Amino acid sequence: MKQLHILHLYPNEMNTYGDRGNLLTLKRRAEWHGFQPIIHYYHVGGELPERVDIVLGGGGQDSAQGDIQTDILRIGDQLRTLAEDGTVMLMVCGCYQLFGKRFVTVDKQDIKGIGIFDIETFGGEKRLIGNIKIKTDGFGALFGFENHSGRTYLGQGQLELGSVERGNGNNGEDKTEGARTYNVFGTYMHGPVLPNNPVLADNLIKLAAEKRYGEFTAGKLDDSLAVLARRGAYRRSY
Amino acid sequence: MIYVSTWLGKIIQLSMSWLKSGGQALPGLIIERFQPSYLAKMLHKLPEGVVVITGTNGKTTTSKMIVELLTAEGKKVLSNPTGSNLTRGIVSGLLAHASWSSKLDYDIAVLELDEAFAIKFIARVKPEWVVALNVSRDQLDRFGEVDKVARLVGTTMKAASRGVITNANDPHLSTIGQAIADNQIKVSYFGVSPALRQYFPNDKELVSVDDPLASQPTKTKIPSALVELTNFQHQNVTYKINNQTYSTNLKLNGQHNYQNAAAALALVIELLPATDPAVHVDNLAKVSVAFGRGESFKLPDGTNLQLVLVKNPASFRQALASYLFDNPAIMIAINDNYADSRDVSWLWDVDFSTLSNTHVSLTSGSRAADMALRLSYDDIKVNVVENDLNKALNKLAEMRGDKIIFATYTAMLQYYAILNKRAGVNP
Repeated sequence: MKQLHILHLYPNEMNTYGDRGNLLTLKRRAEWHGFQPIIHYYHVGGELPERVDIVLGGGGQDSAQGDIQTDILRIGDQLRTLAEDGTVMLMVCGCYQLFGKRFVTVDKQDIKGIGIFDIETFGGEKRLIGNIKIKTDGFGALFGFENHSGRTYLGQGQLELGSVERGNGNNGEDKTEGARTYNVFGTYMHGPVLPNNPVLADNLIKLAAEKRYGEFTAGKLDDSLAVLARRGAYRRSY
Repeated sequence: MIYVSTWLGKIIQLSMSWLKSGGQALPGLIIERFQPSYLAKMLHKLPEGVVVITGTNGKTTTSKMIVELLTAEGKKVLSNPTGSNLTRGIVSGLLAHASWSSKLDYDIAVLELDEAFAIKFIARVKPEWVVALNVSRDQLDRFGEVDKVARLVGTTMKAASRGVITNANDPHLSTIGQAIADNQIKVSYFGVSPALRQYFPNDKELVSVDDPLASQPTKTKIPSALVELTNFQHQNVTYKINNQTYSTNLKLNGQHNYQNAAAALALVIELLPATDPAVHVDNLAKVSVAFGRGESFKLPDGTNLQLVLVKNPASFRQALASYLFDNPAIMIAINDNYADSRDVSWLWDVDFSTLSNTHVSLTSGSRAADMALRLSYDDIKVNVVENDLNKALNKLAEMRGDKIIFATYTAMLQYYAILNKRAGVNP
């Protein structure tokens, strides 16, 4: 059976908002599409596995971000090489910020990121919290829940993941949400984002499979519950 | 001034009851405006002071246990009814219980306060005792993050003037406890024995992955506990208190409640040091569950329906571990109002493996589909997805055998109201 190797970054620190749901979703959908998912965990001070097809990173406590920041800079070059090579990655919230150029905290502490995304994030006093709906090219409408104090601004030429229809997104000002570079996707959307947006999940698997095996044939999946949940999300208040 | 406030408040309460008008918090609200110091002045009159119960899970049941343990030993205890944990609710309670001459015929107040509200309360009233139960990921759309909840609870703990009771096995809280003990305030711990630790994961353990390569969460030294849960077998529990063991059969169910009971025992032992702990353990056996926390209702067809509040990954996990022995028909009701948590991401942090050999009859509430979607990823089948709480309850009631509803806060309140009218509460 064809394997898909999924790497979860910092699962014990960056996992505050149901981020395990993204891993579970990729694992199960990979199975349903006929692959054998192999899960790897990367912890502080560890080593990246030899083979990686999809990399996942979640959100964390503001306090955890400091510990992780030192470590992620250490493996930054390796992650950048993987990214430039077309490896599929999904970075949510805290990890999305660390994949940017820098994060400036409320008390003006300047934290360096690994710079895969041309984005800069500035700590804000008031958290941006609530349901969010965005429109994307390629994945349709995406639904989620955002909860972040950082305001993220895209550099010139940096692609966004989508444009905000309801909610705040990157910064609550410019209607952008998330970022995309090569096959690396960043977003503030929890929910978690993948089970609620199976089209996005399947596209990550498809990109990874095509890169590894040159082809992808979708399995027959029953997404009626996701459709029902999304119908609820259309009606929800934001 | 205090007399004027009491008179004014009582007159408002009386006129409202004559007018058969609801809004029990209104008199409290008016007196809060009229004399902001009323709350502190009245509570200050209590000879044995104020106990605040706070933390993420177990506040209501623990408060109920403490009230009943103290009452059994002859104390007159003033408490706040569930859900009224705003100062105006407490003031309304004071007004109802005070005499016209502003006398409060009580020895002690036991107040359950949520993590955020406790901060507002201690700014006005300095409690003698604080019981801090646990800190866990809960309503993060409201609190932001777990570290913030821990800071809030820590601030409340530091306000205690006589003593703090807290959880030896919660690293957030035991660390704060250590700092408080260094400040000459007595800190007593409740806990569970090493053999039982696996049943009571703390917040970090709840979501950490089972991987030998994982950097283990920083080991916090576990302080020795005044009251330690050492065994439980169904509702038969054993506690170790000062190296003596005490066993009893509880009416309460749910392993989390056996842990909460250790907290209640620890406080009562500190408050009544002259009483033999065996007396408190005996009294504990008589305490029944608090409303909507594992409460049983008898349906017209003679079957039982149990209603269990679930609020966050920790409480949901404990509920699944505690209430599924007799294979009841299962309904899960998830709402996403402010009091439930608007963000349902937390459902993905719940370990549903206890359901892997069974199925869920219904999911209901505004997030019924999200719940069913979550379960589908663990291959747990849901027969019916029904947003409407009433319709879902009717379908559940038609099923054979005993039933159980796991419900978030507002769904629990609605089901409680219906069941309380329709069914008899089991003793």
